Amino acid sequence: MSLDLTVPLGLAWFAAIGLAFFDGRRAWAGWAAVAALATTLLGTVAVAVDVAHSGPRSVVAGGWPTTIGITLEADALGLTFALLSLSVLLVALTYEVVAGVQARGFPALVLAMATGLLGLCLTADLFNFYVFFEIAMVSAYVLTGYGDRPHQLRAATIFLIVNLLGSVLFLIAIAALYHLTGTLDMEQLAIRIPIVQTNPAILSATLIFVAFGIKLGLFPFHFWLAAVYTGTRPAVAAILSGALVNIGSYGLLRIGGGLLPRELEQGAPVLFALGAASILYGGLQAISCGDPREVLAYSSIGQAGYILVCLAIGGEAGYAAAVLFAVTNAINKTLLFLVVPLRGPWVAAAVTVGAASVAGIPPAAGFFGKAAVFRSTVADGNPAILTLLVAGSALSFIYMFQMVGRQDWATGDGVGPIWSDSHLPATRIIAGGVAVVVIGLGLWPEPLLVLSDAAATALIGRLP
Amino acid sequence: MLAVPFSLLLFVSNGTLATSGNTMDGGWQFNPAASLLALAVLSGPLTWLVGRWRPGLAWVAGALLAGGGLTTTIVAIATGDSGVDVAWAPSWGLRLAFDLDGLARLYALLATGIGLLVVIYARRYVPLHLHHQGRDEREAGPFFAAFLLFMGAMLGLVMARDLIALFVFWDVTALASYLLISYDRQDANARASALMALLVTGISALGLLVAALLIEDRYGTFDLGAVIAAAEAGDHSLGLTTGILIVSAALAKSAQLPFHFWLPRAMAAPTPVSAYLHSAAMVAAGVFLIGRFYPLLATEPRLLDGLAVVGAGSMAISGVLATTRADIKQVLAYSTISQYGYVVLMLGLGGQGHYGAVAAVFYVVAHALAKTALFLTAGAVTEATGERRLDRMGGLWRSMPALAAGSGAAAAGLAALPLTVGFFKDELFFAAALERGPAAVAVAVGGATLTIVYIGRFWGGIFLGPRRATADPVPLALVGPVVVLGAAILLTGVVPGPVARLAEAAAAVSLREAMTVSPAYHLDTRPENLMALASFVLGGTLLATRRFWSPAAMGLARIGQRFGPARAYGRGLDGFERFSGAMRRVEVRDLRGRVATILLPAGVLVIIALIATPTRDAFSFGTIQRGDAGLVMILIATCGAGIASTLPRDHLSMALTVSGVGYCLAVTYALFGAPDVALVAVLVETMFALLFLGMLSLLPRRVLAEEAAEPENHHHGRRDAALAVIAGVIALVVSWSALSRPTFRESVAVDYIELAPDAHARDVVTVILTDFRGLDTMGEITVIGIAMLGIAGLLRRGRLR
Repeated sequence: MSLDLTVPLGLAWFAAIGLAFFDGRRAWAGWAAVAALATTLLGTVAVAVDVAHSGPRSVVAGGWPTTIGITLEADALGLTFALLSLSVLLVALTYEVVAGVQARGFPALVLAMATGLLGLCLTADLFNFYVFFEIAMVSAYVLTGYGDRPHQLRAATIFLIVNLLGSVLFLIAIAALYHLTGTLDMEQLAIRIPIVQTNPAILSATLIFVAFGIKLGLFPFHFWLAAVYTGTRPAVAAILSGALVNIGSYGLLRIGGGLLPRELEQGAPVLFALGAASILYGGLQAISCGDPREVLAYSSIGQAGYILVCLAIGGEAGYAAAVLFAVTNAINKTLLFLVVPLRGPWVAAAVTVGAASVAGIPPAAGFFGKAAVFRSTVADGNPAILTLLVAGSALSFIYMFQMVGRQDWATGDGVGPIWSDSHLPATRIIAGGVAVVVIGLGLWPEPLLVLSDAAATALIGRLP
Repeated sequence: MLAVPFSLLLFVSNGTLATSGNTMDGGWQFNPAASLLALAVLSGPLTWLVGRWRPGLAWVAGALLAGGGLTTTIVAIATGDSGVDVAWAPSWGLRLAFDLDGLARLYALLATGIGLLVVIYARRYVPLHLHHQGRDEREAGPFFAAFLLFMGAMLGLVMARDLIALFVFWDVTALASYLLISYDRQDANARASALMALLVTGISALGLLVAALLIEDRYGTFDLGAVIAAAEAGDHSLGLTTGILIVSAALAKSAQLPFHFWLPRAMAAPTPVSAYLHSAAMVAAGVFLIGRFYPLLATEPRLLDGLAVVGAGSMAISGVLATTRADIKQVLAYSTISQYGYVVLMLGLGGQGHYGAVAAVFYVVAHALAKTALFLTAGAVTEATGERRLDRMGGLWRSMPALAAGSGAAAAGLAALPLTVGFFKDELFFAAALERGPAAVAVAVGGATLTIVYIGRFWGGIFLGPRRATADPVPLALVGPVVVLGAAILLTGVVPGPVARLAEAAAAVSLREAMTVSPAYHLDTRPENLMALASFVLGGTLLATRRFWSPAAMGLARIGQRFGPARAYGRGLDGFERFSGAMRRVEVRDLRGRVATILLPAGVLVIIALIATPTRDAFSFGTIQRGDAGLVMILIATCGAGIASTLPRDHLSMALTVSGVGYCLAVTYALFGAPDVALVAVLVETMFALLFLGMLSLLPRRVLAEEAAEPENHHHGRRDAALAVIAGVIALVVSWSALSRPTFRESVAVDYIELAPDAHARDVVTVILTDFRGLDTMGEITVIGIAMLGIAGLLRRGRLR
């Protein structure tokens, strides 16, 4: 029996709408949201199992012929990012429900974001991608202000304005591509874009790159990132850095690698340059940060550079490395943002695990992310980039372990006033669980490797 | 408690794990490699859990695990090679391939044997240490956990045949040493030292990772055995770069010049950690790595020469520095660097003769026994007297005779006196040097002399001479291991055969051929004996005349402090910190700046894209006909409204000019033959204009006036104008470029018009919105709903909170 791929999407969507009418601060509403999200995740897993056995599945909305209606398609690439995003959201939501939800709309917003992220991973229509992207982004704008402190609202304002700018650029590019090809269906787009003259195609590609660069927090489009990640509550920071950031990596892969491979190849020197700048910039900035959240924010800027370098390398190996790195990075950041406000012996262990994973020290999962990037660079035969990656990795050693050493995580002596309201044992258990997952995936990386290879194959296989 | 699950782990079925060595037909049988692998993975976590459960039992768990490992290793030495080989990550061709060969057995014996002794020692030492620092005794748990993690990592490392698995354990040793060195976490010096150790060994390890990947790229496998076989078949040479990366990682781990500076700093760790780090674990791992990769490294003779040079340099410089240190642990630290300099030198010499490789492993064993004993002595002495400086001790042999005897044997072993195992380590060393000519002989004698000097000073300074400190009695557990080690040194000094057999088996792995050495005492004038005699005489003389040459040695130490790599490290780290701080000060922090940093680079990228692609015929202007007059006029009006919208300062005029632009565009649509779109645009514009006005009327006048008069919003006028131009140009270039192309001939728009009747509607726009692309519409409605939910959160009773 196979599950229709619209079922999980619809489930999250209706649950979001339904929960919007209730006060999310009540425990039952929070747990209902957790249950709905968990069911969505399970449904997506079921779809993924089915896709793994019998290949990609698609459905056209309204039962129209393919190019007329909106096509939803589940393939390995989309499902990988969907599963990742939903898992991160589930963890962050559970964490916040356990710690005590403080705003009426929180559970509904998380589900709305789940809808957006799941939808954009499953759609095969460029404009529909934009719509789901908007759903996720609007939820993120509101979530950033969650907590209602002045600095959180200020962060939300920055986030909103900068990212809306990115959305407008994306929209202009979509309009241009539609004009040029007469279709919004990704499969048709991939076939028709090569026929189009290079100039308009590469200009649209540039705008799309900028739009996703902003989402990913790539240098020099990153200036919103530190203020936002540092200002928000831990669960929201985890959502932004673990789930929302996937829009950037997935978008670059799906649209850059899937629709505009020629333009991506032409832009490779720029991607290498910006990736290099991002890696060095993020790494160097992170060194002098006193606040662990700020370290993590700048670290994210550096990690975005790795994904870009993988894209520039391209090919199956490059894309697989990009997926693997994006996945491990999202998990690392989720773990660390959730764990840094806590204290205790388990917390000390979890922080060390997270730091090791970001620095790429085995047996944490981050090691395989780093190794995959290195490996694709070695196969590409590019010593300059390899040296740069090693330098970036060295920087991550410095800032991560300076961060670990600055505070006494086990007992909490000399700790600044970071969210002291979330010291509940259950939040520590959740964070510890994520740490166990990080170690588990480091010890047995095969699922990650299979998933990222399948994702890259799905992406390459789509190319005409 | 642990014994039951653990004994289950020790026995692994033939069916599940491939075993090599003495297999019986089917059935269950003991596979030492598999059980050591289980130990390697589980030791740390198990000890941690026990420590969380009952902190007082952590050491018991540690001792049981180390003892289990030791027993297994001894069994393995008796039974021969065994191995494990199961798939790990087939996507990358990774296997959990572990061989308990001669090399692995030797290092495993050191890791578990010395590990066990150190755990027993630490059982008493750590609670005392915590007590001195006013810390809770329950913190002993994490200590033993990190220690056993360290031991486990060593076990995994020495057995690994898969390069990635090898790297995993290699890095875990760095992580474990970080945890152990920073164990006194309230001590800033300990934290800085731990960071230094991690950075030096961890960052150099990246070279090993890159080397592993380069090897895979070249040979197509991560399996070291297959790689060596391919290299021997003459398929490929290793490549100098790869070799340098491997050797650098190994030298950093073994604290050789110029990476040596982390090791003396690592003395901030509790003494049992130092003992382990210096003998059986960290520094031994580096030399082990060279031994493991030896068949590959030997394909590049320049690498071996480089090793010899680095080894000789480390041996000489650290040897001199060791004579200048006052802190007893510092003396031992520099001694370790110097002694490993010997080992590296011997490995480098081994390229032509064969003695080098055997001598090196023999040396590692002899050194490990002696150095552990000496560190444990240092810990016990400091515990008894509260002193760490040589010039504040002396004459302690009276109050601590057993300790003096045990450590005396160890010191004699290190100094290579006869009747200790150390004598043979130097005999083999001299033999290796003799194979390579007079220069090597001179270096060897010099090194042996230096050893005698600093170890003589160390031991004599503590136990002989006038009594300068009072010694409290120390627990037996702090003395026992030293005595055991001292006895072992003397015993193997009389019966060196077993150590020699171990070394032969280990060297056979490195050299890929069987080797035999027969260390024995010969009462004749063979060159080795003469060299030993020369070093005794020279050493004794130097020791007696220390007053005359020590200023020169101190001078060298001062030069090292001023220009050495430790200072470069410190400056580098400070430099990074300062540079980073300076960068952060110039980061953009205001909103307009943030918008600018998006638009400006986007503009640059668009320009790059324009330059990089052919623009001939890309931008066409089209023709203007008489009938287009109205269109042109309204477009001019649109532009005018657009520019006008940037001028006003008060909010009301801004809102009105912006909606003016919208209305102008609506007229454009109407003139373009899209009246329905125009209608929608007018509706939307009207709605937004009303919304703006309503919003502005809700906000207090005063706030708006202040905001409008805010100089901050105006003094960036030029920048803002430039950005506005950039934004306009981006939009213009992209849309012009796209619109210069005709619409694609098979547009979906044609299909929409064709299919509209099927959707039971006459109006295409309606069908698109409600049916063809109904999902989009539903999504956009959701977007509005979410935005409302967000706004509702900001409002209370209809007003902004």
